[in-house]
Amino acid sequence: MKVIESNQKTKIHLKINGNDYETEVEPRRLLVHVLRELGFTGVHIGCDTSNCGACTVILNGKSVKSCTVLAMEADGGEILTIEGLAKNGKLHPIQEAFWEKHALQCGYCTPGMIMQSYWLLSQNPSPTEEEIREGISGNLCRCTGYQNIVEAVKLASQKMRITTFQP
Amino acid sequence: MYPPKIGYVIPDNLEETIEFLEKHDGAKVLAGGHSLIPMLKLRIVKPSYLVEIRRLNSLHYITKTGSEIRIGPLSTHYEIFKANIPLLSEAASKIGDPQVRNMGTIGGSISQLDPSADYPAALIALDAKIKIKNTKGERVEPFKDFAKDMFTPDLNQGEVVTEVIIPNFSDYKYSYQKLERKAGDFAIVGVAVLLKTEGETIKDARIGLTGVNNVAVRATEAENMLKDSKVSNEMIEKVANEVVKYANPVEDIRGSVEYKKKATKVMTRRAILEALKR
Repeated sequence: MKVIESNQKTKIHLKINGNDYETEVEPRRLLVHVLRELGFTGVHIGCDTSNCGACTVILNGKSVKSCTVLAMEADGGEILTIEGLAKNGKLHPIQEAFWEKHALQCGYCTPGMIMQSYWLLSQNPSPTEEEIREGISGNLCRCTGYQNIVEAVKLASQKMRITTFQP
Repeated sequence: MYPPKIGYVIPDNLEETIEFLEKHDGAKVLAGGHSLIPMLKLRIVKPSYLVEIRRLNSLHYITKTGSEIRIGPLSTHYEIFKANIPLLSEAASKIGDPQVRNMGTIGGSISQLDPSADYPAALIALDAKIKIKNTKGERVEPFKDFAKDMFTPDLNQGEVVTEVIIPNFSDYKYSYQKLERKAGDFAIVGVAVLLKTEGETIKDARIGLTGVNNVAVRATEAENMLKDSKVSNEMIEKVANEVVKYANPVEDIRGSVEYKKKATKVMTRRAILEALKR
């Protein structure tokens, strides 16, 4: 049994976008702050009340709101942020689709929206429009009215299905 | 917003968990954290220690036998949604939003016992039983006894929910209807309905209500009206009116008393109609 007192810090290990990181945190530290301080400022803080989803990252294969997860809970875990999607300068199909369908205006909700879409498509590679709308219901956007975001996710799902079929 | 200073405990097993909780009055269990961490950020609670139980795999399972379904308390709402459990999976699918459902757990949810939570309507309709463990042993009690009052489960310091047991309702039709003000919100009213039909006749009916009392309730008189009756629009109307008598909502940001009572009637009618469509 490990006990960390409230005034103590402890080392945690995180694998972020394929790379290993080690940092010291107090138990009360939120994952979103640790990620941002490690340089992953694409993870946005929108509402801080677990509503808006701008802080969404993938933790151990599940999309989570990093403002509602303690850094300690992620110790030893694997995290994927928006910064980890593009490979060697090539955009991920979801990012391409968001661009092609003009699914962002100010861009603040976008990292969270894309990470949630990433998880949605990993669970449901061919979602219907209703399933997409349900699937991103934890992510709020004040600019777009969601229509283009939904179109982008549809296009992304098509792009990703084509890629898996290529020999 | 930042949580206050807290200690953090990582136990190796359930025994260490309940021993620590018993010894430290201010210690709280951390499962999914999606009730606890928002409360910490608002500084509504200031526990001395958080006892992290996410690594206790012995609490993380969904097992189906012929007569019942046994659910470990660390099962997430998403896992319960995917598990095809009559009524309960549908209730789980309406909790919060997808990200919340990836972290939130059934053990955590019922230990919190928010009066507007979704599971209680289903659990009370399903006659669910809750297993609780402390350093002296284990006990099993019906969910309706476990849910004493709002935010007040029958859980003393040093006690942890170790299982949720659901009887077999595989031959029932069901529906959970939730009225929410906006996506991801708590229920203004949630109605859970289980119906056993034989042709056009209803042989058994169970109606659980959440959001309109301190705890979830069964609308027993309305259930009795449905039993051995033939399905008709007039019957559903009568039943919906009866269910409203079981609603004692408070006026708050989600609506007035009058609105919530009206909503109860509408959602009851919807739940019965949706259940019959199965």
